[in-house]
Amino acid sequence: MNKELQLEIAEKGGVSVVSIRGDVTAVTGGSIEEAYNGMTRGGVRRILFLFGMDCYINSGGIAILIGIASASRKSGQAVRVAGLSEHFRKIFHMMGLTKYMEIFSTEEAALKDF
Amino acid sequence: MDDAGKIEFHIPNVPGAEKTAMEQAATVARGMGFSDDRIEDLKTAVAEACINAMEHGNRMDASTRVGVTLTFADRKLQVDVRDQGKGVGEIATPDIDGKMEGKEKARGWGIFLIRGLMDEVQFGSAPEGGGVVRMIIHLDRKRSG
Repeated sequence: MNKELQLEIAEKGGVSVVSIRGDVTAVTGGSIEEAYNGMTRGGVRRILFLFGMDCYINSGGIAILIGIASASRKSGQAVRVAGLSEHFRKIFHMMGLTKYMEIFSTEEAALKDF
Repeated sequence: MDDAGKIEFHIPNVPGAEKTAMEQAATVARGMGFSDDRIEDLKTAVAEACINAMEHGNRMDASTRVGVTLTFADRKLQVDVRDQGKGVGEIATPDIDGKMEGKEKARGWGIFLIRGLMDEVQFGSAPEGGGVVRMIIHLDRKRSG
């Protein structure tokens, strides 16, 4: 009953931009993890996760991002997040994830920061 | 609650079914005049309570269901989420630093979010058996992010 998760990866100025649409949950979020692992194996150092404003994200999905934030710190990759609604920016802040993963309101703002 | 309206329904114990409950709660809250940000808070809390009921209370048993009751009076909306197991129980407050260092599992945020987003939260047992989490939001309280 989860909406299918759709991922598109594009290269923009040396940053791999992962556009995410659909439901980000423990069930569907594995594909984000797979995409991250694939990029890591390919030597990608700068990654932007760009969420659609209408994404449904639950704590299981955010846990996937925590795992990615943890792995990227160990590997020295720069990972940013953009496109989240105001509500989910608040949720990420409540959880403390913003200490480890910078969040930007727009793709443009995030790309400028790399 | 006196002079209250009530909607009761069940959702299957299937990941994603929590969206039905959260949209139903959002529809009621919208009709009561809750602000958009409070409705988003409610949606996340209801979804997390349903997910906890599925995973911890009903232990992902597809033959079980999650019961949801929305009780609404003029100034507050109460949402009860019931499982058919032993409930969720208290869980230690998650620590992002511990999770980043791999000392804790990355998951385990549901109760933390429910408590952080709702005005009142109670965990207990339903009279007919099973665990229940009761969440209340008040129309005249504005929480800051």
